[in-house]
Amino acid sequence: MEKYLRTPIKEIIGTYPPVGALLEEYRIGCVPCSVGTCLLADIVEIHNLSPEDEGALMAGIAGIVAPGRVVALPEPRSRRPETTRKLSYSPPMKALVDEHRHILRFLAVLPAVIDRFDARSEADRALVRDGIDFVRSYADRFHHAKEEDILFACFDPGLDILKAMREDHERGRAHVRAAGEALARCDGEGIAANLHGYAGVLAEHIKKEDEILYPWMDRNLSMRQVGELFARFRAVDERFAEDRKKYESFVGRLEDAYAEPISEVR
Amino acid sequence: MMSGCPGSRTMTFPKDGGTEAPSGVVPSQLRQWPIQLHLVSPQAPYFQGADVVLAADCVPFAMGNFHNAYLKGKALAIACPKLDGDQEVYVEKIRGLFEDAKINSLTVTIMQVPCCRGLLGLAMQALKGSSRKVPVKSVIVSLQGEVLQEEWASA
Repeated sequence: MEKYLRTPIKEIIGTYPPVGALLEEYRIGCVPCSVGTCLLADIVEIHNLSPEDEGALMAGIAGIVAPGRVVALPEPRSRRPETTRKLSYSPPMKALVDEHRHILRFLAVLPAVIDRFDARSEADRALVRDGIDFVRSYADRFHHAKEEDILFACFDPGLDILKAMREDHERGRAHVRAAGEALARCDGEGIAANLHGYAGVLAEHIKKEDEILYPWMDRNLSMRQVGELFARFRAVDERFAEDRKKYESFVGRLEDAYAEPISEVR
Repeated sequence: MMSGCPGSRTMTFPKDGGTEAPSGVVPSQLRQWPIQLHLVSPQAPYFQGADVVLAADCVPFAMGNFHNAYLKGKALAIACPKLDGDQEVYVEKIRGLFEDAKINSLTVTIMQVPCCRGLLGLAMQALKGSSRKVPVKSVIVSLQGEVLQEEWASA
Protein backbone atom coordinates (compact mmCIF):
# COMPACT_ATOMS: atom_id res chain seq x y z
CA MET A 1 0.00 0.00 0.00
CA GLU A 2 2.95 2.28 0.71
CA LYS A 3 3.76 2.26 -3.01
CA TYR A 4 0.29 3.58 -3.87
CA LEU A 5 0.41 6.20 -1.13
CA ARG A 6 3.49 7.65 -2.87
CA THR A 7 1.87 7.56 -6.33
CA PRO A 8 0.27 10.60 -8.08
CA ILE A 9 -3.50 10.31 -7.88
CA LYS A 10 -4.06 10.73 -11.63
CA GLU A 11 -1.82 7.72 -12.25
CA ILE A 12 -3.78 5.61 -9.76
CA ILE A 13 -7.16 6.65 -11.20
CA GLY A 14 -5.86 6.08 -14.74
CA THR A 15 -4.83 2.53 -13.90
CA TYR A 16 -7.73 1.79 -11.53
CA PRO A 17 -10.74 3.97 -12.53
CA PRO A 18 -12.98 2.69 -9.66
CA VAL A 19 -10.62 4.46 -7.25
CA GLY A 20 -11.94 7.75 -8.66
CA ALA A 21 -15.53 6.80 -7.89
CA LEU A 22 -14.53 5.65 -4.41
CA LEU A 23 -12.81 8.98 -3.72
CA GLU A 24 -15.98 10.78 -4.85
CA GLU A 25 -17.91 8.85 -2.18
CA TYR A 26 -15.70 10.58 0.37
CA ARG A 27 -16.18 13.95 -1.34
CA ILE A 28 -12.63 13.91 -2.65
CA GLY A 29 -13.00 15.31 -6.14
CA CYS A 30 -9.74 14.31 -7.83
CA VAL A 31 -11.32 12.86 -10.97
CA PRO A 32 -11.97 16.15 -12.80
CA CYS A 33 -8.67 17.69 -11.66
CA SER A 34 -6.63 18.49 -14.73
CA VAL A 35 -3.27 18.24 -12.97
CA GLY A 36 -3.52 15.23 -10.65
CA THR A 37 0.09 15.19 -9.47
CA CYS A 38 -0.85 15.09 -5.77
CA LEU A 39 0.20 11.92 -4.00
CA LEU A 40 -2.53 9.71 -2.54
CA ALA A 41 -1.02 10.12 0.95
CA ASP A 42 -1.14 13.93 0.69
CA ILE A 43 -4.72 13.86 -0.57
CA VAL A 44 -5.84 11.80 2.40
CA GLU A 45 -4.08 14.20 4.76
CA ILE A 46 -5.41 17.34 3.08
CA HIS A 47 -9.03 16.14 3.33
CA ASN A 48 -8.71 15.47 7.07
CA LEU A 49 -10.99 12.42 7.11
CA SER A 50 -12.01 10.83 10.39
CA PRO A 51 -9.86 7.81 11.35
CA GLU A 52 -12.85 5.54 10.55
CA ASP A 53 -13.39 7.04 7.10
CA GLU A 54 -9.67 7.03 6.37
CA GLY A 55 -9.43 3.34 7.33
CA ALA A 56 -12.48 2.46 5.21
CA LEU A 57 -11.17 4.45 2.24
CA MET A 58 -7.76 2.79 2.41
CA ALA A 59 -9.36 -0.65 2.67
CA GLY A 60 -11.55 0.17 -0.33
CA ILE A 61 -8.57 1.31 -2.40
CA ALA A 62 -6.62 -1.81 -1.38
CA GLY A 63 -9.59 -3.91 -2.52
CA ILE A 64 -9.43 -2.24 -5.95
CA VAL A 65 -5.67 -2.21 -6.54
CA ALA A 66 -4.96 -5.62 -4.97
CA PRO A 67 -8.22 -7.62 -5.02
CA GLY A 68 -8.23 -10.75 -2.92
CA ARG A 69 -4.83 -10.02 -1.40
CA VAL A 70 -4.05 -9.16 2.18
CA VAL A 71 -2.54 -5.67 2.20
CA ALA A 72 -0.98 -3.94 5.18
CA LEU A 73 -2.93 -0.71 5.60
CA PRO A 74 -1.37 2.40 7.13
CA GLU A 75 -2.47 3.36 10.61
CA PRO A 76 -5.13 6.09 10.26
CA ARG A 77 -3.82 9.45 11.42
CA SER A 78 -5.53 11.11 14.31
CA ARG A 79 -7.79 13.73 12.85
CA ARG A 80 -7.61 17.38 13.79
CA PRO A 81 -10.30 18.26 16.35
CA GLU A 82 -13.83 18.58 15.04
CA THR A 83 -13.89 22.19 16.17
CA THR A 84 -11.14 23.13 13.71
CA ARG A 85 -12.67 21.15 10.85
CA LYS A 86 -15.55 23.58 10.42
CA LEU A 87 -15.33 25.53 7.19
CA SER A 88 -14.55 28.75 9.01
CA TYR A 89 -11.77 30.72 7.40
CA SER A 90 -9.12 32.65 9.28
CA PRO A 91 -9.22 36.41 8.49
CA PRO A 92 -6.50 36.30 5.78
CA MET A 93 -8.13 33.28 4.09
CA LYS A 94 -11.51 34.96 4.35
CA ALA A 95 -10.07 37.95 2.47
CA LEU A 96 -8.95 35.65 -0.37
CA VAL A 97 -12.34 33.91 -0.45
CA ASP A 98 -14.06 37.31 -0.67
CA GLU A 99 -11.84 38.19 -3.64
CA HIS A 100 -12.83 34.88 -5.23
CA ARG A 101 -16.45 36.00 -5.08
CA HIS A 102 -15.70 39.02 -7.26
CA ILE A 103 -13.80 36.84 -9.72
CA LEU A 104 -16.68 34.32 -9.77
CA ARG A 105 -19.15 37.11 -10.46
CA PHE A 106 -17.01 38.10 -13.43
CA LEU A 107 -16.83 34.49 -14.64
CA ALA A 108 -20.62 34.17 -14.28
CA VAL A 109 -21.30 37.09 -16.63
CA LEU A 110 -18.51 36.18 -19.08
CA PRO A 111 -20.60 33.77 -21.23
CA ALA A 112 -23.14 36.55 -21.92
CA VAL A 113 -20.32 38.91 -22.89
CA ILE A 114 -18.87 36.31 -25.24
CA ASP A 115 -22.28 35.44 -26.74
CA ARG A 116 -23.03 39.03 -27.65
CA PHE A 117 -19.49 39.90 -28.74
CA ASP A 118 -19.17 41.39 -32.21
CA ALA A 119 -15.54 41.71 -33.32
CA ARG A 120 -16.49 44.59 -35.64
CA SER A 121 -17.80 46.68 -32.75
CA GLU A 122 -15.23 48.95 -31.13
CA ALA A 123 -17.43 49.12 -27.99
CA ASP A 124 -17.42 45.30 -27.70
CA ARG A 125 -13.67 45.14 -28.26
CA ALA A 126 -13.16 47.79 -25.58
CA LEU A 127 -15.29 45.80 -23.17
CA VAL A 128 -13.27 42.62 -23.74
CA ARG A 129 -10.12 44.69 -23.31
CA ASP A 130 -11.47 45.88 -19.95
CA GLY A 131 -12.34 42.29 -19.02
CA ILE A 132 -8.83 41.14 -19.82
CA ASP A 133 -7.50 44.06 -17.79
CA PHE A 134 -9.68 42.94 -14.83
CA VAL A 135 -8.27 39.43 -15.06
CA ARG A 136 -4.67 40.56 -15.39
CA SER A 137 -4.85 43.25 -12.73
CA TYR A 138 -7.39 42.10 -10.15
CA ALA A 139 -7.36 38.31 -10.44
CA ASP A 140 -3.69 37.93 -11.28
CA ARG A 141 -1.58 40.89 -10.17
CA PHE A 142 -3.59 41.56 -6.98
CA HIS A 143 -5.13 38.24 -5.90
CA HIS A 144 -2.82 35.57 -7.32
CA ALA A 145 0.22 37.59 -6.32
CA LYS A 146 -1.00 37.50 -2.70
CA GLU A 147 -1.24 33.75 -2.99
CA GLU A 148 2.00 33.03 -4.82
CA ASP A 149 4.26 35.63 -3.19
CA ILE A 150 2.91 35.59 0.37
CA LEU A 151 0.60 32.68 1.24
CA PHE A 152 2.33 29.84 -0.57
CA ALA A 153 5.66 30.96 0.91
CA CYS A 154 4.40 29.72 4.31
CA PHE A 155 4.53 26.14 3.01
CA ASP A 156 7.03 23.76 1.46
CA PRO A 157 7.26 24.93 -2.17
CA GLY A 158 7.70 21.31 -3.24
CA LEU A 159 4.19 20.34 -2.13
CA ASP A 160 2.26 18.85 -5.04
CA ILE A 161 -0.91 20.69 -4.10
CA LEU A 162 0.91 24.02 -4.45
CA LYS A 163 2.47 22.96 -7.75
CA ALA A 164 -1.03 22.12 -8.99
CA MET A 165 -2.32 25.55 -7.93
CA ARG A 166 0.57 27.32 -9.66
CA GLU A 167 -0.06 25.29 -12.81
CA ASP A 168 -3.71 26.39 -12.72
CA HIS A 169 -2.53 30.02 -12.50
CA GLU A 170 -0.20 29.48 -15.46
CA ARG A 171 -2.94 27.84 -17.54
CA GLY A 172 -5.23 30.76 -16.77
CA ARG A 173 -2.51 33.24 -17.77
CA ALA A 174 -1.92 31.37 -21.04
CA HIS A 175 -5.64 31.61 -21.91
CA VAL A 176 -5.68 35.33 -21.12
CA ARG A 177 -2.53 35.92 -23.19
CA ALA A 178 -4.10 34.07 -26.11
CA ALA A 179 -7.38 35.98 -25.70
CA GLY A 180 -5.44 39.25 -25.82
CA GLU A 181 -3.65 38.16 -29.00
CA ALA A 182 -6.97 37.12 -30.56
CA LEU A 183 -8.42 40.52 -29.64
CA ALA A 184 -5.53 42.28 -31.37
CA ARG A 185 -6.38 40.51 -34.63
CA CYS A 186 -10.19 40.85 -34.11
CA ASP A 187 -10.54 37.07 -34.00
CA GLY A 188 -13.92 36.53 -32.30
CA GLU A 189 -13.62 32.76 -32.17
CA GLY A 190 -10.18 32.91 -30.63
CA ILE A 191 -11.40 35.35 -28.00
CA ALA A 192 -14.42 33.19 -27.16
CA ALA A 193 -12.44 29.94 -26.98
CA ASN A 194 -9.81 31.38 -24.68
CA LEU A 195 -12.17 33.27 -22.40
CA HIS A 196 -14.29 30.13 -22.02
CA GLY A 197 -11.09 28.20 -21.35
CA TYR A 198 -10.05 30.72 -18.73
CA ALA A 199 -13.46 30.58 -17.03
CA GLY A 200 -13.30 26.78 -16.89
CA VAL A 201 -9.81 26.73 -15.36
CA LEU A 202 -10.56 29.46 -12.80
CA ALA A 203 -13.95 28.16 -11.64
CA GLU A 204 -12.50 24.73 -10.89
CA HIS A 205 -9.39 26.28 -9.36
CA ILE A 206 -11.37 28.51 -7.00
CA LYS A 207 -13.52 25.59 -5.88
CA LYS A 208 -10.38 23.60 -5.03
CA GLU A 209 -8.93 26.51 -3.07
CA ASP A 210 -12.10 27.41 -1.16
CA GLU A 211 -13.09 23.87 -0.24
CA ILE A 212 -9.78 22.04 0.09
CA LEU A 213 -6.63 24.13 0.01
CA TYR A 214 -7.54 27.04 2.30
CA PRO A 215 -9.15 24.89 5.03
CA TRP A 216 -6.08 22.64 4.95
CA MET A 217 -3.77 25.66 5.18
CA ASP A 218 -5.80 27.08 8.06
CA ARG A 219 -5.40 23.82 9.96
CA ASN A 220 -1.64 24.03 9.53
CA LEU A 221 -0.91 27.73 10.05
CA SER A 222 0.18 28.95 13.49
CA MET A 223 -1.35 32.06 15.07
CA ARG A 224 1.94 33.84 14.30
CA GLN A 225 1.63 32.98 10.62
CA VAL A 226 -2.05 33.96 10.50
CA GLY A 227 -1.27 37.34 12.07
CA GLU A 228 1.64 37.96 9.68
CA LEU A 229 -0.42 36.96 6.63
CA PHE A 230 -3.21 39.27 7.76
CA ALA A 231 -0.81 42.22 8.09
CA ARG A 232 0.91 41.55 4.76
CA PHE A 233 -2.40 41.15 2.91
CA ARG A 234 -3.64 44.43 4.36
CA ALA A 235 -0.47 46.15 3.18
CA VAL A 236 -1.16 44.86 -0.35
CA ASP A 237 -4.81 45.97 -0.01
CA GLU A 238 -3.70 49.47 0.92
CA ARG A 239 -1.32 49.70 -2.05
CA PHE A 240 -4.05 48.45 -4.40
CA ALA A 241 -6.97 50.27 -2.73
CA GLU A 242 -7.99 52.59 -5.56
CA ASP A 243 -7.57 49.98 -8.30
CA ARG A 244 -9.46 47.47 -6.21
CA LYS A 245 -12.50 49.73 -6.00
CA LYS A 246 -12.30 50.35 -9.73
CA TYR A 247 -12.17 46.66 -10.65
CA GLU A 248 -14.83 45.55 -8.18
CA SER A 249 -17.22 48.19 -9.49
CA PHE A 250 -16.37 47.11 -13.06
CA VAL A 251 -17.85 43.68 -12.27
CA GLY A 252 -21.03 45.34 -11.00
CA ARG A 253 -21.34 47.42 -14.15
CA LEU A 254 -20.78 44.35 -16.30
CA GLU A 255 -23.55 42.51 -14.46
CA ASP A 256 -25.91 45.44 -14.91
CA ALA A 257 -25.20 45.60 -18.60
CA TYR A 258 -25.16 41.93 -19.48
CA ALA A 259 -27.01 39.74 -17.07
CA GLU A 260 -29.58 39.34 -14.41
CA PRO A 261 -28.05 40.45 -11.11
CA ILE A 262 -26.23 37.46 -9.64
CA SER A 263 -27.03 37.53 -5.96
CA GLU A 264 -25.55 34.15 -5.09
CA VAL A 265 -22.86 32.67 -7.27
CA ARG A 266 -21.57 30.00 -4.90
CA MET B 1 -32.96 19.73 39.85
CA MET B 2 -30.17 22.04 38.65
CA SER B 3 -30.63 25.74 39.25
CA GLY B 4 -28.71 28.94 39.72
CA CYS B 5 -25.78 30.34 37.82
CA PRO B 6 -23.86 27.73 35.80
CA GLY B 7 -20.72 29.69 36.56
CA SER B 8 -20.91 29.00 40.29
CA ARG B 9 -22.86 25.72 40.47
CA THR B 10 -21.14 23.15 42.71
CA MET B 11 -19.78 20.12 40.87
CA THR B 12 -17.12 17.48 41.38
CA PHE B 13 -15.17 15.65 38.70
CA PRO B 14 -14.07 12.24 40.02
CA LYS B 15 -10.65 11.15 38.73
CA ASP B 16 -9.37 7.60 38.83
CA GLY B 17 -5.96 7.91 40.41
CA GLY B 18 -4.43 10.52 38.17
CA THR B 19 -4.47 8.69 34.85
CA GLU B 20 -2.56 10.27 31.99
CA ALA B 21 -0.63 12.52 34.37
CA PRO B 22 2.70 13.37 32.72
CA SER B 23 5.76 12.06 34.47
CA GLY B 24 8.50 14.46 35.54
CA VAL B 25 8.42 18.23 35.68
CA VAL B 26 6.44 19.98 32.96
CA PRO B 27 8.23 23.26 32.20
CA SER B 28 6.27 26.48 32.37
CA GLN B 29 5.81 28.38 29.11
CA LEU B 30 5.23 31.68 30.90
CA ARG B 31 7.69 34.32 29.68
CA GLN B 32 6.63 37.44 31.58
CA TRP B 33 5.36 39.05 34.76
CA PRO B 34 2.85 40.46 35.63
CA ILE B 35 -0.04 38.74 33.88
CA GLN B 36 -3.24 40.17 35.40
CA LEU B 37 -4.91 42.53 32.92
CA HIS B 38 -5.14 45.40 35.44
CA LEU B 39 -1.43 45.07 36.15
CA VAL B 40 0.03 44.67 32.67
CA SER B 41 0.87 47.58 30.41
CA PRO B 42 0.55 47.58 26.62
CA GLN B 43 3.96 49.30 26.66
CA ALA B 44 5.61 46.24 28.21
CA PRO B 45 8.31 44.85 25.93
CA TYR B 46 6.85 41.34 25.97
CA PHE B 47 3.69 42.58 24.22
CA GLN B 48 5.38 44.39 21.34
CA GLY B 49 4.47 42.60 18.10
CA ALA B 50 3.56 39.51 20.11
CA ASP B 51 0.94 36.84 19.70
CA VAL B 52 -1.12 37.32 22.85
CA VAL B 53 -3.40 35.02 24.82
CA LEU B 54 -6.14 36.66 26.84
CA ALA B 55 -7.23 33.92 29.21
CA ALA B 56 -10.17 33.84 31.56
CA ASP B 57 -8.79 33.15 35.04
CA CYS B 58 -10.23 29.63 35.27
CA VAL B 59 -9.00 28.33 31.91
CA PRO B 60 -5.40 27.40 32.82
CA PHE B 61 -6.71 25.41 35.80
CA ALA B 62 -9.40 23.58 33.85
CA MET B 63 -7.12 22.77 30.93
CA GLY B 64 -4.26 20.43 31.80
CA ASN B 65 -2.31 21.26 28.67
CA PHE B 66 -2.82 25.04 28.61
CA HIS B 67 0.89 25.90 28.67
CA ASN B 68 1.83 23.80 25.67
CA ALA B 69 -1.40 24.12 23.73
CA TYR B 70 -1.98 27.87 24.02
CA LEU B 71 0.67 29.72 26.03
CA LYS B 72 3.82 28.49 24.30
CA GLY B 73 5.46 31.30 22.34
CA LYS B 74 2.85 33.87 23.36
CA ALA B 75 2.45 36.76 25.81
CA LEU B 76 -0.34 36.48 28.37
CA ALA B 77 -3.01 38.55 30.10
CA ILE B 78 -5.63 37.08 32.43
CA ALA B 79 -8.93 38.45 33.67
CA CYS B 80 -12.31 37.43 35.01
CA PRO B 81 -15.25 39.08 33.28
CA LYS B 82 -17.58 38.10 36.10
CA LEU B 83 -15.73 39.29 39.17
CA ASP B 84 -13.22 41.93 38.08
CA GLY B 85 -14.11 45.61 38.39
CA ASP B 86 -13.36 48.60 36.18
CA GLN B 87 -13.80 46.63 33.01
CA GLU B 88 -13.86 49.77 30.86
CA VAL B 89 -10.16 49.93 31.72
CA TYR B 90 -9.84 46.45 30.25
CA VAL B 91 -11.33 47.59 26.96
CA GLU B 92 -8.87 50.48 26.73
CA LYS B 93 -5.99 48.25 27.66
CA ILE B 94 -6.83 45.64 25.04
CA ARG B 95 -7.23 48.43 22.49
CA GLY B 96 -3.75 49.53 23.57
CA LEU B 97 -2.47 46.06 22.75
CA PHE B 98 -3.88 46.36 19.21
CA GLU B 99 -2.83 49.94 18.54
CA ASP B 100 0.24 50.64 20.68
CA ALA B 101 1.84 47.24 21.23
CA LYS B 102 0.88 46.33 17.65
CA ILE B 103 0.31 42.74 18.66
CA ASN B 104 0.26 40.20 15.83
CA SER B 105 -2.75 38.16 16.95
CA LEU B 106 -5.05 37.64 19.93
CA THR B 107 -6.35 34.31 21.21
CA VAL B 108 -9.15 34.65 23.78
CA THR B 109 -9.60 31.51 25.86
CA ILE B 110 -12.77 31.36 27.93
CA MET B 111 -14.77 28.82 29.90
CA GLN B 112 -18.03 27.40 28.62
CA VAL B 113 -20.07 29.09 31.36
CA PRO B 114 -22.19 31.97 29.99
CA CYS B 115 -20.62 34.72 32.06
CA CYS B 116 -17.23 34.00 30.55
CA ARG B 117 -18.43 35.21 27.14
CA GLY B 118 -18.04 38.67 28.60
CA LEU B 119 -14.27 38.47 28.15
CA LEU B 120 -14.62 37.83 24.44
CA GLY B 121 -17.12 40.70 24.36
CA LEU B 122 -14.54 43.05 25.92
CA ALA B 123 -11.92 41.97 23.36
CA MET B 124 -14.33 42.48 20.45
CA GLN B 125 -15.38 45.88 21.78
CA ALA B 126 -11.72 46.84 21.89
CA LEU B 127 -11.14 45.53 18.37
CA LYS B 128 -14.13 47.41 17.04
CA GLY B 129 -12.83 50.64 18.53
CA SER B 130 -9.29 50.05 17.34
CA SER B 131 -7.88 51.69 14.24
CA ARG B 132 -5.65 48.67 13.78
CA LYS B 133 -7.12 45.20 13.19
CA VAL B 134 -5.58 41.83 13.97
CA PRO B 135 -6.93 38.27 13.78
CA VAL B 136 -8.80 37.26 16.93
CA LYS B 137 -9.59 33.66 17.71
CA SER B 138 -11.91 32.51 20.48
CA VAL B 139 -11.45 29.19 22.25
CA ILE B 140 -14.19 27.83 24.49
CA VAL B 141 -13.06 25.33 27.12
CA SER B 142 -15.29 22.91 28.99
CA LEU B 143 -15.30 22.64 32.78
CA GLN B 144 -13.06 19.60 32.46
CA GLY B 145 -10.63 21.26 30.09
CA GLU B 146 -11.70 20.03 26.65
CA VAL B 147 -11.72 22.46 23.76
CA LEU B 148 -15.39 22.74 22.76
CA GLN B 149 -15.05 25.33 20.06
CA GLU B 150 -12.40 27.33 18.25
CA GLU B 151 -13.50 30.01 15.89
CA TRP B 152 -12.33 33.22 14.27
CA ALA B 153 -14.04 36.31 15.51
CA SER B 154 -14.78 39.33 13.38
CA ALA B 155 -15.26 42.87 14.64
